[in-house]
Amino acid sequence: MTQDRVEKIRQRLETQLQPELLEIEDESRLHAGHAGARDGRGHFRVMIVSPAFQGLSRIARHRLVFDAMGELMETDIHALAVQAFSPDEL
Amino acid sequence: MEAINERIKQTLESSPVLLFMKGTPDFPQCGFSAQTVAALRACGADFASFNIFEDPEIREGLKAYSNWPTYPQLYVNGELIGGCDIVVEMYHSGELKKLLDESAAKA
Repeated sequence: MTQDRVEKIRQRLETQLQPELLEIEDESRLHAGHAGARDGRGHFRVMIVSPAFQGLSRIARHRLVFDAMGELMETDIHALAVQAFSPDEL
Repeated sequence: MEAINERIKQTLESSPVLLFMKGTPDFPQCGFSAQTVAALRACGADFASFNIFEDPEIREGLKAYSNWPTYPQLYVNGELIGGCDIVVEMYHSGELKKLLDESAAKA
């Protein structure tokens, strides 16, 4: 199940943001039992490098990632930590 | 929808630095909310907080209003600054203290 979720997240980010680098970590186990984990959705961390972030503010970058997630934010993801860079920032 | 957006606007205007969070600053009910509070406190910021668990209508309404799907959410002068990641990044870079000091100077 968690592997499926990571795969779903990966597919959406790859399709919509063409990342040059993408790492997705499922941190759900770290939150097992706390209030936010009770609905069954997961906690994930994403590190993504994409030209799509060039010149954008932090807020705008996070919104692109949230938008790419779409309804997964309601169905599968409780919390999504995002580190988003453009290629020239590395 | 109209009514809730009006309530959100009024809430945002109630304080120049406002954190919508899970729980309260002294009893946060989520690690991300706790980290965000810690960053604000480390800047010596004077901030108000809103416990979204106590107001389901605002909890859902603000997500749509701000086009931001998660909590915590930090607002300065009515503008969304970001969630935990952004606030913590801005804390480390010094931008958060600068923003909060500027906001306090205007008040």
